[in-house]
Order: sequence, then structure tokens, then C-alpha cells
Amino acid sequence: MVAQVERKRLTAGLTVTQKVFVRSRNGGATKIVREHYLRDDIPCLSKLCNLCPSIMKPDAKGEFQKFTLSDTPLKLANGGHHYLVLDTNIVLHAIDLVENVHGFFDVLVPQTVLEEVRNRSVPIYTRLRALCKSDDKRFVVFHNEFSEDTYVAREANESINDRNDRAIRRTCSWFQKHLNDNSPQLSVNIIFLCNDNDNRAKAITEGIDARTLAEYVEALPNADELRDLVPTDSSELQRVNEIAYPEYYSTARLMGGIKNGTLYQGIVNISSYNFLEGAVNVPSFKKPLLLLGRERLNRAFNGDSVVVELLPKSQWREPSSQIIEESAVEANDTPEDEEELKISDQERRLLAQDAMVSHKTQPTDEVASRIQPTAKVVGIIRRSWRFYVGQIAPTSVSENSGSAPSNCFVILMDKCLPKIRIRTRKAPELLGKRIVVAIDSWPSTSKFPEGHFVRSLGDVESAEAETEALLLEHDVEYRPFSKNVLDCLPSEGHDWKVPTDLDGDEFIKKRKDLRAKLVCSIDPPNCQDIDDALHAQLLPNGNYEVGVHIADVTHFVKAGTALDAEGASRGTSVYLVDKRIDMLPMLLGTDLCSLNPYVERFAFSVIWELDSDANIVKVDFMKSIIKSREAFSYEKAQLRIDDESNQDDLTKGMRILLQLSRKLKQKRLDAGALNLASPEVKVHMDSETSDPAEVEIKKQLATNSLVEEFMLLANISVARKNFDAFPQTAMLRRHANPPATNFENLNDMLRVRKGMAVSLESSKALADSLDRCEDPADPYFNTLLRIMATRCMMAAEYFSSGSYGYPEFRHYGLAVDIYTHFTSPIRRYCDVVAHRQLAAAIGYEPLDLSHRDKGKMETVCKNINRRHRNAQFAGRASIEYYVGQVMKNNESTQLGYAIRVFSNGIVVLVPKFGIEGLIKLESLGDINSARFDEENYSLTFTDHTGAERTIAVFDQVEVDIKSVLDEVTSKRKAELFLK
Amino acid sequence: MKLSPAERSYLHDSLALQPPIRPDARSPAQFRPLEASISFLPSSNGSARIRLSDGSECIVSVKSKVVLTANVSSLILVDVDVSGYRDDSNFVSNLNYHLQSILNSHFPTAVLRLTSRYSFKIFVDCVVLLHTSYPLGLLSLTTYLALKTTSLPKLVSEVNDEEVEEQPTFSDDWDQSTPLIPTNSTFQPPLLFVVAVVGDNVFIDPSREEQEVSENGMIIGYETQGVISPFNNISLSDREVKGMKLLHVIKAHLLVKKCGEEVLKALNSVAKDEGGNAIF
Repeated sequence: MVAQVERKRLTAGLTVTQKVFVRSRNGGATKIVREHYLRDDIPCLSKLCNLCPSIMKPDAKGEFQKFTLSDTPLKLANGGHHYLVLDTNIVLHAIDLVENVHGFFDVLVPQTVLEEVRNRSVPIYTRLRALCKSDDKRFVVFHNEFSEDTYVAREANESINDRNDRAIRRTCSWFQKHLNDNSPQLSVNIIFLCNDNDNRAKAITEGIDARTLAEYVEALPNADELRDLVPTDSSELQRVNEIAYPEYYSTARLMGGIKNGTLYQGIVNISSYNFLEGAVNVPSFKKPLLLLGRERLNRAFNGDSVVVELLPKSQWREPSSQIIEESAVEANDTPEDEEELKISDQERRLLAQDAMVSHKTQPTDEVASRIQPTAKVVGIIRRSWRFYVGQIAPTSVSENSGSAPSNCFVILMDKCLPKIRIRTRKAPELLGKRIVVAIDSWPSTSKFPEGHFVRSLGDVESAEAETEALLLEHDVEYRPFSKNVLDCLPSEGHDWKVPTDLDGDEFIKKRKDLRAKLVCSIDPPNCQDIDDALHAQLLPNGNYEVGVHIADVTHFVKAGTALDAEGASRGTSVYLVDKRIDMLPMLLGTDLCSLNPYVERFAFSVIWELDSDANIVKVDFMKSIIKSREAFSYEKAQLRIDDESNQDDLTKGMRILLQLSRKLKQKRLDAGALNLASPEVKVHMDSETSDPAEVEIKKQLATNSLVEEFMLLANISVARKNFDAFPQTAMLRRHANPPATNFENLNDMLRVRKGMAVSLESSKALADSLDRCEDPADPYFNTLLRIMATRCMMAAEYFSSGSYGYPEFRHYGLAVDIYTHFTSPIRRYCDVVAHRQLAAAIGYEPLDLSHRDKGKMETVCKNINRRHRNAQFAGRASIEYYVGQVMKNNESTQLGYAIRVFSNGIVVLVPKFGIEGLIKLESLGDINSARFDEENYSLTFTDHTGAERTIAVFDQVEVDIKSVLDEVTSKRKAELFLK
Repeated sequence: MKLSPAERSYLHDSLALQPPIRPDARSPAQFRPLEASISFLPSSNGSARIRLSDGSECIVSVKSKVVLTANVSSLILVDVDVSGYRDDSNFVSNLNYHLQSILNSHFPTAVLRLTSRYSFKIFVDCVVLLHTSYPLGLLSLTTYLALKTTSLPKLVSEVNDEEVEEQPTFSDDWDQSTPLIPTNSTFQPPLLFVVAVVGDNVFIDPSREEQEVSENGMIIGYETQGVISPFNNISLSDREVKGMKLLHVIKAHLLVKKCGEEVLKALNSVAKDEGGNAIF
């Protein structure tokens, strides 16, 4: 039976038809019937058209669509004035080119294309939408699926792709005819860009001017600028098969396998020491599954969501104890090296060496316990592909290529990723520059992923290029805020004042006037975004009143606005050594919300009554108006408190705060809060030249912990209140107990090397045992151990309270049962949500629907967790870069500690500069004489003077620190050499 | 409707005559006129509706779901809903039982197998909107038509998943769906006929008045090959129930055999003729 669905006219401009299809989801199959309405008044949006302005109707707001397509579009030598129609494959593969400001104007995006793009890639879809919104590129969406003239019904036995292709072609030919009929003043051609040969051929027979992307770019007057941006078309490049990666399984098989538990899904995590070793954490196994070697990784990238299959038990292995960097394995590869075998012999040898280790050692219990299951990738669910920053490998550029496009390799800054093959004419020019590349595909016959050049960031090692590179590498949104985000800001701008009329509207009536309280803020020096301020006073009953006042960001950032969406997507502000990437626009962050001194500000206050032992007697939450009396830096606050001659009320309040904070801290430590360490350093910038001048370790003052304690207290109180009010969707933060397996290695090293152990029963036990681990000979050992213990911890994460049971809310590090982030809404989005929830909990204003929806909250949490992590990494990378720069002038010999020992190198941490570096066996001494004692975590080798040396984990070593430019990645890093 | 003793006696006597006279002048093997239409529920896999001249009306919809064969006891599930009766009443559960059991025993569920692990399970939902006489015959005819018009989404993944499990995937094109009962297939869905016994005569498709005076009733299964089980006895009226004679059984068998063939032909032409599908 063929569905003979006809159209039925309902009213003059409206026709209805129906679509019948099968939805196959999770193995099910459901027949779906949809009514589909067609109109005859969808305008073509060309300024040239004489007809459409008269037929179009206003939208629900009574507004008319803007006609965007230019009345004098670009004229080509072989195509005349033209508008472009893009096919889906062009948008998907060449979005960078389409976004380019030097070409691609007056573009028509059929709705069919928009929908296909959305189904294939959401990030590209959002970029395309952004293009259509901005006026300068003159992109329009034509809703061809809803237009009577361009709608096509699916034909019998036609695949949906063919049908969509036909719909796009129909749109092209309709447009051409429409323009011919209705714009006599200028003849405009429709050029259909399509890289699909079949579709293009059909279009040409239908009389459409269809071209490939490359053909069109060549026809442009500024072809030279754009030519290199044309992505590699895999169908054009018929390579000799360099390698045969196993094909991925079909989706049906992957889904079936995951369902019945024979295949596992997880995120690939490539070892930072060995680019051929990946691990996938799968809930079914205690230990991560190892992916060893190119073939097993099967084209997976770091961060991809993949499906893996276990290998037979005979192939289970220990994680490799070697350091393998791609540069070492393939330094002499050339991109056209066609005779390359399936796997390079060098790789084989390295793998075989690994294999030998695991075979040689008798399967004693200890080895058996270290054996990990191995697996291979059989499918990729979602690629983590994004823009990557790297630079062209000089060896891969052939000298005499001239202007013909040639293949060359781009080595990415991220060492966990393989190099990327691009085709460019400009390779010689781009040598020594940081460039951005995008990946197009990774066919199973190609040893390396294929990509194309996007843009150049500038010279390697220039501060701007490096900063932008690391922002890109960590997926930090650093573009300026868009216009519709800035439109959400108060129109008064910097002149905004707290209203004088406190009976103005219902909201201001609910605010409490706290301007009489002696509030002050304590922050790092030169802090511009002051999130928090404090006050304290003695109450007549002998208790203390303590108030924490947080910037009332949600007064300005209302849920559902573009500003809110931007904040939610940025998730956090990012702090680099020389730069801050704001989550919210400057106007809010540093002025209107910031609790600056001497001015009135809106705040969200938490006010406790604490007894003299810092127990909470009562807690109140309120929206308020405050006036900060002073903004202190930590040092100034310390000085003011220490100076006995200050007896004013403000200083007295600060003394109360300090005294209470000590009690709070003691209580926290008694409950088992961890005092962990990370080698944090600060880079001082020379203020004149903004060159980094020196590095120092961050100092802790008592006033630091004063602020911290009350912020913790506020966060805990708010978390309880929000969880009470919204048991399913409260925004909380948890820190899971570290799994014992994380500490196995550390404990073993401690036992073997120092005869000590840390216990893991509870955070209290861990804290106590860490305190006990003291080496009298080495005062730094305890801190070193804390640094290493920190790395065994789980990362804290944001979550919505419905996702876990109450016992799992625990914050392990802080040893509290419930926690959230409330105190920094200017720079963290979690706090914004917590503010809104608290405001709703105290009846200030109703809570936006999105913060009451479990699914939406989970999406928000997932994003801010990722952003938070990326921001941390970006911050560390920035410090690493600047430390490298500082070391250029400060090469010295320092004390370091071996923290990991491999069979071909050691990892050393230098506490003074917070540098951690790998020293390879080659630079240590003689490679052949080296003996790696795995049981004792030690490496014995003959050094360059001929003497035999043994270095084991925790050993103190003297190292030379030099600033070295890595030749392969062109990253300047402080590199260590054993003295 | 209650018949007066005079009406009852008149009706009974005329039906017991040789040859009998039915109140609406039908022959013993003749059905009441009916109007059938198919495929009118757009989101069902198959559907049918039959209306009788007295206003009785029945709607049947068939929907499908992919299941793991090992997890379900039956691949066909019938659900009957009769307006005015509770779902757990004897009346409804009896109707349900009759339809379910004949499908269980005479519908080759092999056609529902997708792969070695997965099958379609079909849900046959019947609604009797209005009925005057015992609605089983009506239900059975409508169910037959609905099953005849049922299509199932086309499987595009591997059929053999014995060794390696695959999640079934289907073509998104509804036009590619395959009929549950292929046009050239040898089997057809089974039918149930209701036969009333008055005196020595048997009548197919008894009307309400005929049921009232009947002395006995039978439910008889039929398939392309001929009469099949069940061959059940049922009382169609609360009074005048008498014993069954061998003669009745033989006559009923012959009757069903005779009209079964014609009914099938008529229903098949309905199923073939109408393209259906238009929802407007």
C-alpha cells in the first residue's frame, strides 16, 4: 500500500499534508504520523524581490522579517551576480570557511540543511545559527519545508537523504525562477554549493548552477586567501592504503552489545606519558580498561566517547612503565610516506618490550594484582573533535613544493593527540607559527587524521599567540560578549545606583536595609570583582552576630535572558597569569555587582548568630542593601587587626571574625577536613613591560583563612536551606571518597621506600595518617606526600540533588555532609543558580522553571563541571608558560623530588617553582646499563661521569632548571636536568 | 429488549420451521449487511472498523513493539473493551479469551520473528462501541481485517544475532514497511463465527431477537483450510436452553464451512480494495 497522501487546502494561505515515518530508537520501532502545514506567504528575503514584501505577514509580535539578501550581490566572472545556497555537507565540513569574513556573502540556508546540520552536529548548528543572526554576512534561513512551493513529499522507496537533497534542489530552482520573475532590475543567479557528486550531477541536469566548494572558491576574486581553508575532500584524495584500521562495528551491533554487557561505553583517556596508551573507565570494572597501541585505540581521540570490547585474558597487561612520545616514534616520518607498513617496527618493538616485561615476571600475586584488562575500540559514539592548536612539523614540509598544495603534518600542543595531516600551499610561511586546525575525518586507511588549516595565531612564543592558544586548547570562550548579551545590562550603565525609594516596588520592599552594619571586604590585592563582604558584632546576649554579604548578581542576571545563557555556557571566569576571562560582562563584575567600598550595593546576606564556640544558634538569609566601609587586601587586614592601637568598631568586628574563624577551622579539622597541598605558585609581572619577572609560592595569611572559613560556613548553610526547599534540584557540590585503588600505588611506594602508610577508612583517618608521615630528615616530605595524595583524590563536582542519594552528597575534603557554592556569583555560575534557589526558598521571587527541572539542572551541572575543569587547566597552563619564560633568565640549580620512576625516565617535582618535569634516561646516562627495579620503584643507571647511581621514588635530587624550547611542539618549558 | 410470550413463541416457531423464516428474511447462512473500512487510524500499524445496520460498531487497532522473544510469553496480546461493561466482567473476559486463544493457536507467530533474539509483539486492541447481539462474530471479523492491513517496520540490521547481539534498527521509511500477512501467503488470520440453534435449524450471525429464542449457541473457528477448533457451546439466551444434538453439530459445521469461504472472500476484497490512509 502506497500512502497516497495529498495536500488539503484549509484556508487561502494554508495547506496541510502529512508525514508518516518510523522512529527507531533504542531498538524499538514506532510509526509516527505528523501533520505538516504549508503556507504560501514565506518571503524570499531578497531586497531585490518586488513580490515578497507584499505577501508576507507579520509574526506573533506584529513584526515583519527583515530582508537581508543584498540588492547588489557579489559578481563573479563566470556566474554573474549570485546568491549562494549551501548543501549540508558544505556546512558540516567547511563551517570555518563559510564563517570567513572574506567570502561567502548573501547565503541562503534552506531549512532542510539547517535541520540536517542540527541532527549531525550541534556545535556546528549553533555556529550556523549565529551566522544567520548576525547581519554582516547576510545569511538567511528559508523555511522551504513550510512553503507550498518548495515542499516535496517523500517518494516511494526514496531514502530520506535523497528526499532532502531533492528538497534542497527544489529550493534552488524555485528561487532562481522566483528571482527571475520578480526582480527585473538585476538578474541574480543561484549558485548551489555541494560537494556530493551525485547530488551535484542531478542539480546540473535540473538546470541549477551547482559547483563544488573548491570550484566556487577558485572563482572568487580573493581565491588566494581562501584556498587553503577548503577542507580536504576525502573522496578526492585516493591514497594508497597506509594502514588498515579495523572498521567500526555497526550502530545496531554497538547498541546491542552495550545492552547485553559484552561491549562497554566510556570516555577515552590517553596517558600523558604514552600517547599509544589509553584507558577507559567503565562502571563494570574496578580498574580502567587499557587500550594499548594504535590498532587497539583505533582512531580514538583523547576525550572521545567510545565503545570498547575486551581482549582475551591472555592479552591483559600491566600499564606500561615507559614514556613514549609521538615525536620519538615518528620523528622521521614524512607525510607522503606511502610504503609505510601497517604498524611501524619501532612501535612494535616498544610494544614487544612492554609485553616482555609482563611475561618475564612470574605471576606472583603482586604482579597479578597490577595486571589490567585490555580492550580495543570498536566504535565511536561521539567525537571530541574541536579546533586544535599546533604547529607544522618542519621535517614534513618539502622544500621544493612551490605553490602547489602539499601535505604536511601539524603537531598539536596536546601531546595526547596524534599529528594531523593537512594540505596547504602556505606551509613554508606557516612554519614557526601557532596555527589552528580543524579535523575533517579519519578514514580507516589513513594512519593520521585529515584536517585543514583554519587560521594562524601568530609567532610561536609570542605572549598573545600562546595565551590565545591555551584558551582555545582548553575550550574557553574568550570572544567579547555579543550585542544581545550586552543588551541585557541595565541601561544606566555605570551610573546605576541603588534606588533611594525603598518602597518602590514589591521586590525592593522585601530587601533588608543593612547599610548601618560595619561591613568590609577582604580580598587578594588589586581584586576588582569583590564577591563577598563580612561584618561581625557582639550581641547583648554575649553571642556574636556574623554576616556574610554576597554580591547580588541575580538581581541583574535574570533567568532565561541571553546574559544568563552566556553565563551558563561560560560557567566560570578563567584566571590566567596576565588576563582574566570574565563569565559576566565587566560592567557587572567589576562595578554594579562588585561590593566596592563606600558605595551602596545590593547583596544577598547570610546572617548567623554564633555562640562564643562558633556554634550556630540561628541563621537568616535575606536580600539586602549594604554599604562596605573598606576593601582590604589580606595583608592590610592582617596589619589592621594586629595593630593594637586600632580600637574602632570595624577593627573589633574583624577581630571577632578572626577569632571565630580559628574556632571554625579547628572544628573542621577535628571533623576530618583534609589539609591538602598543591604546588601553587604565583608569577609576578613586571608592571612596566608586563614581562614575567619572578615566581613565588603562594603565601597563606590568617586573614585568608578568615574569609575562607566564613565562606565555607555560608556555603554549607545555603546548601542545607536549598536542599530543604528543593530536594530534587538543589545545586550542590560533592567530593566523593577516593576509591582505595587510587591510593594503592602511593601506599605501595610509601611502604617500600619509607615504611609508612596512609589509611583510607575516612577522611579523618587519612588526615591523621598524613600528619603522622613525617620524615625527620626531610621537612618537605610531608608536603610532598600531601601533593601526591591530592592527585589520588577524586575531583569535586557540581550536581543537582536529585542525581544522588543523601549519603553521597558528602564533601570528603571538607568533611561536611552537604555543600554548595554560593559565595562567588560573579565568577561562577553554580553560585548564580544557588542564589536563585535561595531567593525562591526565602520567598523573595519565584524560581525559574529551568532550575526546577531535573534534566535541565543535570545539563547545567555537566557543563559547569567541564568548564570548571578546563578553567583550572587553562590557569595551570598559563602559569607553566610563564614559569618557562621566567626561567629563561633564571636558570639555576634547585632541589627536587622524584615522584615517579619509569623504566626509561623519572619525573621530578621542584617545589620552589612548582615545576614538574620528566627526565629521560638518555639524558640521565647510559641507556643500556640501566636497570629498572619495579618492586622498589628505583632506577639504577651509569651516569655521564661513569658512576653508578640509583634513584628511587621520594628521593631528593639536585636538578638544573633550564628553559628549553621543545623542538617538536615549540612549547617553551622549564626543563630539568639531573645534576 | 424483552420479548412478550406471544412474540417469543411466534419467533421461535418460524425459526424452527423447515425451511426456517428469519425475522429479517435472511437465509440461515446469510450475514446482516455490514459496512467495513480499514486503515483509518493513522498512527496504528493496522486498523479496521465494521458497522452493522443496527448501529453495532467495532473498532480494532493493531500496534507493534519490539521485544526480546525470551522475555514474553505471547507475541500477540488481545484487549477487548465493550462500552457499558467493566473490563473485568465475565462477558468481556470471555470475548477476550476467545479471541486470544484462537490467535494463540492458529496465528503463525513465526512471521513476527525479527532476529534470533528479537520479535515484534503485536497488540490487538478492540473496542465495541455499540452492540445488540453477542459481539464475538463482529469482533472477529474486524480483527481479521485489522490484521490483514497491518504493516510492520522493515528491519535493516542483521537478522542473525545468535553469536553477536545487535540492537535491531529499522528503516525510517514507513512506505518500506512489510505487511504482517504477505499478499501471497498461504495463511490467513483465523475467524470465529457465532451460530444459533433453534429447533433443528442453525443460523449464522444471529440477531438479538434470534438469540433470545435460541435454544443453544456455538462458537466455531474457521481458517482458509476449513473449520478449526474451537468448537464451543455457548448459551445465547437466559431461557429455553436445551441439549445439543449431533445433528446440530453437523449442520453448524456445514454452515460455517459454507459461509466461511464467502466471508473470507468478501473481507479480502475489502482489505485489498481500499487504499485507506487518508486522514483528512
